[in-house]
Amino acid sequence: MMIWLTILGMAVVTLLVREIPLLTMRGELPIWLGRWLGYVPVAVFTALALRPIAVSAGDAPHLMAGAPLLAGLVGGLVAWRTGNTLATIAAGMAAYWAIRMLS
Amino acid sequence: MAELQISTHAPGRAAQVRAGFVAMMPLWLGAAPFGVIYAVSALAAGLSPAQTVAMSLLVFAGASQFTAVGMFAAAAAPVTIVVTTLIVNARHLLLAASLSPYLRRSGLWARLGLAAQLTDESYAIGVREFLGGRGSAAYQFGANISMYFVWQCSTLAGVLLGRVLPDPAAYGLDLVFPLTFIGLLVPLLRKRDSQVVAGVAAALTLLGALWLPGSWYILLAGVVASAVGALLRRRGEA
Repeated sequence: MMIWLTILGMAVVTLLVREIPLLTMRGELPIWLGRWLGYVPVAVFTALALRPIAVSAGDAPHLMAGAPLLAGLVGGLVAWRTGNTLATIAAGMAAYWAIRMLS
Repeated sequence: MAELQISTHAPGRAAQVRAGFVAMMPLWLGAAPFGVIYAVSALAAGLSPAQTVAMSLLVFAGASQFTAVGMFAAAAAPVTIVVTTLIVNARHLLLAASLSPYLRRSGLWARLGLAAQLTDESYAIGVREFLGGRGSAAYQFGANISMYFVWQCSTLAGVLLGRVLPDPAAYGLDLVFPLTFIGLLVPLLRKRDSQVVAGVAAALTLLGALWLPGSWYILLAGVVASAVGALLRRRGEA
């Protein structure tokens, strides 16, 4: 029963953080807020892209410059040239496997 | 989803839902193995099959589900599990806020429905289209249910198979997510202000990932780097 209640509590708090902005931000946004939010995707994409390839997981995180980072750079190059997300994934994965096989 | 109000110049609503659903499919490769692993580790932590599936259905946030399973396994107090979930998922405040300007014309229930299934991945796919002027609530909905679909299927697969599968990280499948975000980010970097924002975000991400616990680095980089971009733009216009 305690597990069920915990899961329910998790569901409620997660729903809250997802819903609060859309419940409270009604009508026209102030210009400054619109600008601010407009840059959020670039900032969030950067964070989500960089963390897994440049910082090790686990209890004592440290910078790492290995196959994941190189694969990310290859993917970034392909993204710059093609603007295609699928090509980016394919090139990055291919680079990762190539590096893993060669090293 | 009768409340969805979208602009009429775009393709039909069903076609947009389908397009969003399909655009998410490459990310299934990254998500599915972790859904299976989540389920296997949840069962190992002592959750029943029903509880394991219910958490995916109701919480639907991978990082916090993995964290919670670890805490269940360590017999943590329920309150600490819930509070930790709140902290791990706090970044959704930012994602939802970022989407809200694009969803103003949607009805209340459509907006609430979209937000309820928001994930990092479906946010990224949906907001990319909004940034390009082609986005719609229907497209975002398609991306959301695509992720929901694969997460539930893989959770169920993990419960039913119940055996320990090879670590997806051993095949580099965990790289699908960062590569996706790179594919979405890099084309946005042709503009000088975006380059500055990404640079600041990169520095904050590394510092935050090294010094802050959990996923705070996303909130830190997301809030501060975007504020820097907005301030620079204001100064440029003054």
